[in-house]
Amino acid sequence: MSNKEQFFYDNGIVRKFALATIIFGIVGLLVGLIAAFQLFIPALNLDIPWLTFGRIRPLHTNAAIFAFVGNAIFTGVYYSLQRLMKARLFSDLLSNIHFWGWQLIILAAAITLPLGITTSHEYAELEWPIDLAIAVVWVVFGINMLGTIIKRREQHMYVAVWFYIATWVTVTVLHVGNSIELPYGAFKSYPVFAGVQAALIQWWYGHNAVAFFLTTPYLGLMYYFMPKAANRPVYSYKLSIIHFWALIFLYIWAGPHHLLYSTLPDWAQSLGTIFSVMLIAPSWGGMINGLLTLRGAWDRVRTDPILKFMVVAVTAYGMSTFEGPMLSIKSINAISHFTDWTVGHVHIGTLGWNGFLTFGMLYWLIPRLYNTKLHSMSLANTHFWLGTLGILFYAIPLYWAGWTQSLMWKQFNPDGTLVYGDFLETVTQILPMYILRAVGGTLYFVGFLIMVYNLFKTMATGKVTSNEAAEAAPRPAVHKKHPGEHWHRPFERRGVQFTILSLVAILIGGIVEIVPMVMVESNVPKIESVKPYTPLELAGRDLYIREGCLSCHSQLIRPFRSETERYGDYSKSGEFIYDRPFLWSSKRTGPDLARAGAGRLKKSDAWHFSHMENPRNTSANSIMPNYPWLIENELDVSTIPVRIRTLQKLGTPYPEGYDQIAVDDLNKQAKMIADNLRENDIDFEGLEKREIIAMIAYLQRLGTDIDPEIVDSK
Amino acid sequence: MFKYILERAGDIEWMAIVPLVLFVVFFIVIVWKAMSHKKEFVDRMANMPLQDDNTLEVEQ
Repeated sequence: MSNKEQFFYDNGIVRKFALATIIFGIVGLLVGLIAAFQLFIPALNLDIPWLTFGRIRPLHTNAAIFAFVGNAIFTGVYYSLQRLMKARLFSDLLSNIHFWGWQLIILAAAITLPLGITTSHEYAELEWPIDLAIAVVWVVFGINMLGTIIKRREQHMYVAVWFYIATWVTVTVLHVGNSIELPYGAFKSYPVFAGVQAALIQWWYGHNAVAFFLTTPYLGLMYYFMPKAANRPVYSYKLSIIHFWALIFLYIWAGPHHLLYSTLPDWAQSLGTIFSVMLIAPSWGGMINGLLTLRGAWDRVRTDPILKFMVVAVTAYGMSTFEGPMLSIKSINAISHFTDWTVGHVHIGTLGWNGFLTFGMLYWLIPRLYNTKLHSMSLANTHFWLGTLGILFYAIPLYWAGWTQSLMWKQFNPDGTLVYGDFLETVTQILPMYILRAVGGTLYFVGFLIMVYNLFKTMATGKVTSNEAAEAAPRPAVHKKHPGEHWHRPFERRGVQFTILSLVAILIGGIVEIVPMVMVESNVPKIESVKPYTPLELAGRDLYIREGCLSCHSQLIRPFRSETERYGDYSKSGEFIYDRPFLWSSKRTGPDLARAGAGRLKKSDAWHFSHMENPRNTSANSIMPNYPWLIENELDVSTIPVRIRTLQKLGTPYPEGYDQIAVDDLNKQAKMIADNLRENDIDFEGLEKREIIAMIAYLQRLGTDIDPEIVDSK
Repeated sequence: MFKYILERAGDIEWMAIVPLVLFVVFFIVIVWKAMSHKKEFVDRMANMPLQDDNTLEVEQ
């Protein structure tokens, strides 16, 4: 006994993160629910910009991923890391900076996203000052975690800790890599990479945000909390080692499966598919390892809600990691991409895997933190069944909607014309599925609220020991000391070596895919007739980004006859070289807009005006929200010169000194559109200065660069 | 230089084959490493989450 050291576990910081998890879970789910209802009741935006689908959809995803899941990760990591390392966290100060910094970032996101301040990169929408703050707080987390590992009393690092380290390393690389942007104002920037290159980097990031924020840390939590809850060691520790290395090595390559049939070169698409399919093996290795941990404890699954949540979580992980590789096969992706199938797939992962594992963890952790028993087992069981039904009611209708819509898009008449030439027909057909999805979401949300009640009642009956006394023997210094070596060097060695090894494993895939794509010019063939956007079109494009139009509209025509027939010629890389950011999108709730201004899709300026004012003016039964503020707001032209200069720095070939005359050009083009509207009886004072004029200019520009008819008429 | 090597790669399938070979080699090494652990070590590691209750009955 005498050689044991006494210390205190920091339960206070664990409690703080757990509370934040619960609170932001409510926010993330509620915003998602509002968005789900808006999809069949578009008037629910109340004609208020910051309540509109395009702006709250990123708020929902950010709140769910970074606020709810993020705080849950930190809760679980800080609880388990201290115990596995037999040490208090490295620094109380860093713990608190981490906690409050992360919550401030969430607050900044909750303010800026509804205001339309967004980079439009999915799951990386936050603008540059917040990006910097994320980097700082993430580094603080890393120092605190690695510091704890370095000062640990336990000789060996349990596999959960490996997953935590890989998470930290990879998210650092991803966040930096996907946030390379040039600011042009306090809250605005243009990304350095454009078009197809930006798309590859974005989905290298986007896919790996799923991999290394929603998956690897949760696998770490699974390997810690599931044995705890089942009171059984993990089924196979050897399998967990193989699982870990194979998973992190393979995951990083799979990003291009988000860009199948896009203009990305075939070699990169193929790499994405190959590695996605290979991912089944380690993913299922992990799932099997999790489920078999319950060997001999299955009788308890019938009665213990914690184990129930964990079993469904791991099963959902298995389902979505089987489905993901299938969706990465090109012929299946041809059907699933841009439809609600993907949304259903994602929510099996988030609601099932992340949600249920978090709930299991919280039901296990909160009574222990508060030195008490769970307030009500029956309420926890009720939550389990509501949540499970909620997932089913959420996902199954969306699968159905995805299949239905995709098949309708591809249906041809014997004479070779599209059966459903009017896109809207394919939307109204699936509205009942959207309603069922909202029912599923509501069930899940009600279940969550029951958990909140149950956990707060539990907290009320107990008391947290913020500093829990513990003791453990100091870590033996087994490493042979070199002359002159600092005394703590041996303790550091493995943790640091491990971090470097993980970094190498995850860098290989990124480098092989991204470096040639960025460096080799033949990967992005240029097109002579593609010119930079005019200042008015650029302003309209930035409005399109502000309103989050890409939440529902793609700008990428795949080389299928069903798409070229509907939207015009398929997209080419050279068309996007001035697109900063790229706006391909990943969902078509409305039609593709890549050639909205050209050929058979072209509408009049008056049509666009009327449509944006109220989409049902031109398209009965449309589910697109009204955008009356575009007609009321004056266009801000004060930043046009700096926007032009910023784009020049990034390589857009505007003439030297163009920033000085850009606003004049903008006014001239705006007057032409306003005159055109006036001819169609749309007239009021200051019409040419309104935002709608820029939006019309941008929409009318889309696809005109290479459409032969348009080129000829010029 | 690197750029020109890549330019000349053309349709050569090494882009897909090299990573595949790399992974197979990597996989063999990790399986070999994992399997070479002694049983006592593996058992100790697997039980780590169940034996981390080092708390004392005293409060601060």
